[in-house]
Amino acid sequence: MTHKFLSNQGMASLVAKLIAAKTRVIAPVRAKDDPSQLDYQLIQSFDEAAFGVRLPRRSLKEFFLPPTEVLFHYRQTKTGVEIREVPTIAPPQVIFGATPCDVAALETVDKVMSWDYRDELWFGRRDATTIVTFLCSVMDSTCFCTAVGLGPESFTGSDVLLVPVAGGYLAHLVTERGEALLQSHGAEASEDTVARAETLCSEARSKVEPNLPVIPAEFAGWLASNFDNPVWKTVALRCHGCGACASVCPTCHCFDIVDEHESADEGVRRRNWDSCQTSQFTLHASGHNPRQSQSERFRQRIQHKFSIYPSRFGEILCTGCGRCSRSCPGGMDLPKLLGELVTLAQTEPEVSGQ
Amino acid sequence: MKELQDLARKLLSDGSVNVVIGYEAGPRGVRPAFITAPEQAPNLVFNIHCVQNLATYLNPRRKQITQLGKAAVVVKGCDARAVAGMLREKQIERGNVVIIAVRCGGVLQNPETDSELTKETASVRCASCTVREPKLFDHIVGELPPEPPVNTHRVEQITALERMSSAERWNFWTEQLSRCIRCHACREACPMCFCVKCTAEKTQPQWIDPSATPRANRAWQTMRVLHQAGRCVDCLECERACPEHIPLGLLARYVADAVERRFDFTASDDPSVAAPIGVYCTDDDEEFIR
Repeated sequence: MTHKFLSNQGMASLVAKLIAAKTRVIAPVRAKDDPSQLDYQLIQSFDEAAFGVRLPRRSLKEFFLPPTEVLFHYRQTKTGVEIREVPTIAPPQVIFGATPCDVAALETVDKVMSWDYRDELWFGRRDATTIVTFLCSVMDSTCFCTAVGLGPESFTGSDVLLVPVAGGYLAHLVTERGEALLQSHGAEASEDTVARAETLCSEARSKVEPNLPVIPAEFAGWLASNFDNPVWKTVALRCHGCGACASVCPTCHCFDIVDEHESADEGVRRRNWDSCQTSQFTLHASGHNPRQSQSERFRQRIQHKFSIYPSRFGEILCTGCGRCSRSCPGGMDLPKLLGELVTLAQTEPEVSGQ
Repeated sequence: MKELQDLARKLLSDGSVNVVIGYEAGPRGVRPAFITAPEQAPNLVFNIHCVQNLATYLNPRRKQITQLGKAAVVVKGCDARAVAGMLREKQIERGNVVIIAVRCGGVLQNPETDSELTKETASVRCASCTVREPKLFDHIVGELPPEPPVNTHRVEQITALERMSSAERWNFWTEQLSRCIRCHACREACPMCFCVKCTAEKTQPQWIDPSATPRANRAWQTMRVLHQAGRCVDCLECERACPEHIPLGLLARYVADAVERRFDFTASDDPSVAAPIGVYCTDDDEEFIR
């Protein structure tokens, strides 16, 4: 991996050039309803971006899998049904200032999106997107990326990783796409700059590591054999089943498909975000619901993220961003709970409830 | 605090209840606690961070909680109104719940901060509080603290809305509700949303499109707030749950104010007084319903 030094001025002119070329540029900006919070949004000028303030409220997911999107239009005719497809080629976009946890999530979700069939809408947007990640400096006590194999300096999924140094950034060019983006920008980085960036990266890691000193990936086997452990009956008492966690989660990707009529003979098929935390998610047409209470629904969330997904795709479905905990109105806390479950797995490794 | 802990210990020890639903210290402020053994009673706390409306957990369809057995619930005055609402609408039986009221001097708008309770930091719902010491309880604990600092945020927002022309108000809410992703977190966290089957989930016919389009969002939130008219207890759980940070509490309050003006009714902690939406009067002002 090569690197370059990119001055603050160079960065501003790069963004200005992209916007002038009609490339969609997405960056963290101050939320209109609460300027202390950030949202990832399309920007029209570099000044709108707010880097290094805090983790945006929602992940990058909505730029690849919108909360609702049209799959196709249909029209009933005298002879049958006419289908009008939607374009799967997305306009080019560049994301600036994403956090490593949000970016890594995209690669994790790629696996399920290309598993039984290739999701053209997802990959249309993925292929059209260049991602410039920043070394994370906005971690708080809820973050636990280092426990899930990532870190504030991870470049998984990134095209460029920027580390802020005096006067600008050290740019790690991770992919060819990243090299192309910075082809006519930046200069050679001095050894001092590279060394300074390395120090910053290891300092950032040490801020997150104490938050969750266990490795959730190591208890996937325990989870698989403890589906009926009595612990599931009590861990989710305070959970409302509102699914806010899934909405803000960078890796939750479940969707529902519905047909909506727009007139007597025309309509659209859409897909909408869905969440395993709602009772509707598993409600059968017969009226039977295999997940009767929130205990079973919350167990599903943990099992899917830390056992089922890894068994199928080789990695856990969580990047440690901590948004689920921050957004939970019931005070559920994933790093705390993972700590408790890993401890339980270590003290009671036997298969229980069988 | 000790009074609350001692009471919880006693209720659990003498078998009056199987679980005390209260507050305990949490990773960010406090969090709901489900105390099932007398020795856990010292975990209970009550302070200005206790914003959550624990009455929500009395919903009889929360099977993971009903399986614990008979519950006692810690309520602030505002939360007691939700318990009253559930009694009024026959969701729970008075004899099946032990109500522990705490005298309250206000809570924080943002319970995760370490702030003192000031005009700036107090919850907008505390500004109009008339139930610091509720009448609906089996036990009441704590000394009555001083009145909460009154902030005017909510009044200012309501006044601004009232000054708008109807077109401006329509645009304001259209913009706010355009952010709705139809996750229905507002409904799940609400103590007064306890329908077995929500209209939003009825598909034969499909009353409201399930997708997050401006038309469907408006239909969903309008329906929800109208079903809450005179029933909403202004606990703001909907607003806290909303991952899109839509000011749902403001919408509900706007409607609650209209109910107060029109029907001289506000949701109280007296379960014997029926809400306007739940009564039929032969002398109703409106001819169509007589």
